[in-house]
Amino acid sequence: MIEFNDVSVTYRGGVQALRNVDLAVGDGEFVVVVGLSGAGKSTLLRCLNGLVPATGGSIRVDGVEVVGASSAVLRQVRSNIGMIFQTFNLVHRTSVENNVLMGRLAQVPAWRSTLGRWPAGDREIAMQALERVGIVDKAFVRASDLSGGQQQRVGIARALAQEPTVMLADEPVAALDPITSRQVMGDLRRINQDLGITTIVNLHFLDLAREYGKRLIGLRDGEIVFDGDIADVDDDTFTEIYGRDIKTSDLLTVDGMDETMK
Amino acid sequence: MTTAGVTGEVKRPVRPRRRARFFFVASAVAGFTVFAADQVGFTFSTFWEIWTNPLWEKFWPVPWDWVLDEGNVLGPLVETFQIAIVATIIGCGLALPISFAMSRLTTPNRVVYYASKAVMNVVRAVPDLFWAKLLVTAIGIGAFAGSWALSVFSLAVMVKLFSETIDAADDRPLEAARAAGGRHAPAVTTGVLPTVFPAYVAYALYVFELNIRASLVLGLVGAGGVGRVVETQRQFFRFDRILGMLLIIFAVVVAIEQISVAIRKRLV
Amino acid sequence: MSAPALDRPTTRPSRPNHKIQRFATVLLFGVALGWSITGLDITLSRLASAPSDAWGVFSLMFPPDFATEFERGVLGKVFESVYIAWIGTTIAAVLSLPLAFLAATNVAPMWIRVPTRQLFNAIRAVPELIVAVVLLGVTGLGPWAGALAIGLHSVGTLGKLSTEAIESIDAGPLEAVEACGGRWASGMRWGVLPQVLPTITSYWLFRFEINVRASAVLGMIGAGGVGAELVALLNFRDFDGVGAVLIVTVVVVVIIDTVSAGVRRRIIAGTTPDRRGAATIDDLLGTSLNR
Repeated sequence: MIEFNDVSVTYRGGVQALRNVDLAVGDGEFVVVVGLSGAGKSTLLRCLNGLVPATGGSIRVDGVEVVGASSAVLRQVRSNIGMIFQTFNLVHRTSVENNVLMGRLAQVPAWRSTLGRWPAGDREIAMQALERVGIVDKAFVRASDLSGGQQQRVGIARALAQEPTVMLADEPVAALDPITSRQVMGDLRRINQDLGITTIVNLHFLDLAREYGKRLIGLRDGEIVFDGDIADVDDDTFTEIYGRDIKTSDLLTVDGMDETMK
Repeated sequence: MTTAGVTGEVKRPVRPRRRARFFFVASAVAGFTVFAADQVGFTFSTFWEIWTNPLWEKFWPVPWDWVLDEGNVLGPLVETFQIAIVATIIGCGLALPISFAMSRLTTPNRVVYYASKAVMNVVRAVPDLFWAKLLVTAIGIGAFAGSWALSVFSLAVMVKLFSETIDAADDRPLEAARAAGGRHAPAVTTGVLPTVFPAYVAYALYVFELNIRASLVLGLVGAGGVGRVVETQRQFFRFDRILGMLLIIFAVVVAIEQISVAIRKRLV
Repeated sequence: MSAPALDRPTTRPSRPNHKIQRFATVLLFGVALGWSITGLDITLSRLASAPSDAWGVFSLMFPPDFATEFERGVLGKVFESVYIAWIGTTIAAVLSLPLAFLAATNVAPMWIRVPTRQLFNAIRAVPELIVAVVLLGVTGLGPWAGALAIGLHSVGTLGKLSTEAIESIDAGPLEAVEACGGRWASGMRWGVLPQVLPTITSYWLFRFEINVRASAVLGMIGAGGVGAELVALLNFRDFDGVGAVLIVTVVVVVIIDTVSAGVRRRIIAGTTPDRRGAATIDDLLGTSLNR
């Protein structure tokens, strides 16, 4: 259970990224967050695991307060929240397995992970995570040798290796082409369904949001302007979120092309 | 013939003058140079008189028998190698954690960051042979003091190079490690170390080259290695022997450089 | 946790084995270190007493005796080292700039390029101290020998760096000068020099920073500057004085480093937009990683 209560985030320069956000996400939900860039999507995810400290309000993850938490509590909370990044954030010069093992950092004694002496059990978890995203055959390949879509699946495996209860994905497909975008979104939805992990995905593309989301949250200038079932979403909703009509650049695929792909 | 205002014609701009500050800086630099030249006893004639100096005859012929005799040059040269190896391993080993403490990206906290930076700046500000001379005085003449001095020198060079490489490294994997709930040290070693490690090895090889060169002169202050031979021979004005030594050392240094460059090319 | 059915491979690859490589690396280091230590006449007692000996001497330096040292003119000696470094760098700059044009692949013909480059390499291979040892015999003891030694040695590094700067220019302006029928010299003056001068100036300044340290060291063999003072004090075991000399030297060096680094940053900022992370070996020692 994730609860945002009157959460505000003001950056040091005075930019207010979130204003008085109230939000509750139940266990196992699949939530898509849309909004223009700069609307506060990324901040919303990052204040949930404390990477960006909230400057006001309260955020509770499974009952644990995140705002103002000590670094030990924060590490504990983070270990239960997997995060997937727009730019994958892999260590390019090391193996896929080592990248995935980074998801085990919170569970493994510091000296072991520092020296790279990972316990066999954690290696097994990493392997299973790779199997779940279907690239276990690349386990001992250098991360830099993978394609973009494969790299993002490693990113997902790294998050899965945490055995998290919550998964945050910050524009996970923004750097990918349409076909791999759908594969990655498919992976995320399947993981949500199979493992019951609460999933919050930031998306820029509206059609992907419609295709994969169940619940949609619209952010505009740091405020939630829409929160409801994806089925209730029509073009007017998007106009409200984006402050303008939908343009083709807001869609992953133009309609005609979309047909041929299916 | 001012035609301003007519369509299509534009008044010519006034040629910009060099600002007064330019002349001030230029004359200050020139003035300082002249003053400094006077202070060091700059003499133009040296540049041509130097070539006709009888001293050059003392460089030739090179006494190869003496140079290649085992005890004269080759023994101390081996010692030079030993000093350089020990110093490189100790200096670069210590530099690894200190560099991470000294980088903005990976420093555990501000206090450690500024403290390590300040200490290393002071260490670096003391010229290398000052360290050697100090340590020779403190712990006795010989290669032991020399390897200490070079270790300090290696450390200073290495932390400067390597911490700046860490500064410029990709910080996004580090964010991922923190998001996974990792502590500071493992987050750094898993998220940043693999990226910068090849650079570390390349710098270590480079520092080894520097150490070989540096241990050439260590002997001048009594800190062991081939420099010792330079020191004794120069007192007897045996420049022919010094030249022979220099040629051998030059060959060795070039050979090491070639190997090291080849390894570094494969790494980066 | 079983893998779902997928159209993607699910067989695990076998773990690559690095054990032999790792063992070989450790062995190599171990043998190298062991062999080296045997040559350094390190006995256990020496190893044990060294830190306390070193600490003993360093603690004797405090409190430093500034009063006596300033009376003996330590500040003047440090400044003399700075003058030596400045004149040495100036000599090297004047000599290396034209030579660099003769060594750059993109502007010089092969017959002059190769010997010039070899000249730079040969000069770089001989340390300042060795140059000074020789020059002392020619010019006699004093700062002029030091300045000349630094000047000659720095021609090697500055020449090499300047050559690399020239080789990395944008060829367009040079082509434009040639297209107007300009001579080789005009091409260099108007097509190349404006592009490289900021970079090369910053190299000069950087070399000056290094040379301040080098000239302090040269004093130790009688080539002027603060080094002689340090050696004299150490030989008389006047550690209070040594402490004062060291502190004055460090302060002057740090001030020069800071000012010079600031000026360099401004010079470079005026030309290339982004040189973050460019503080590499070139910047530190005036040499280049990949030759």
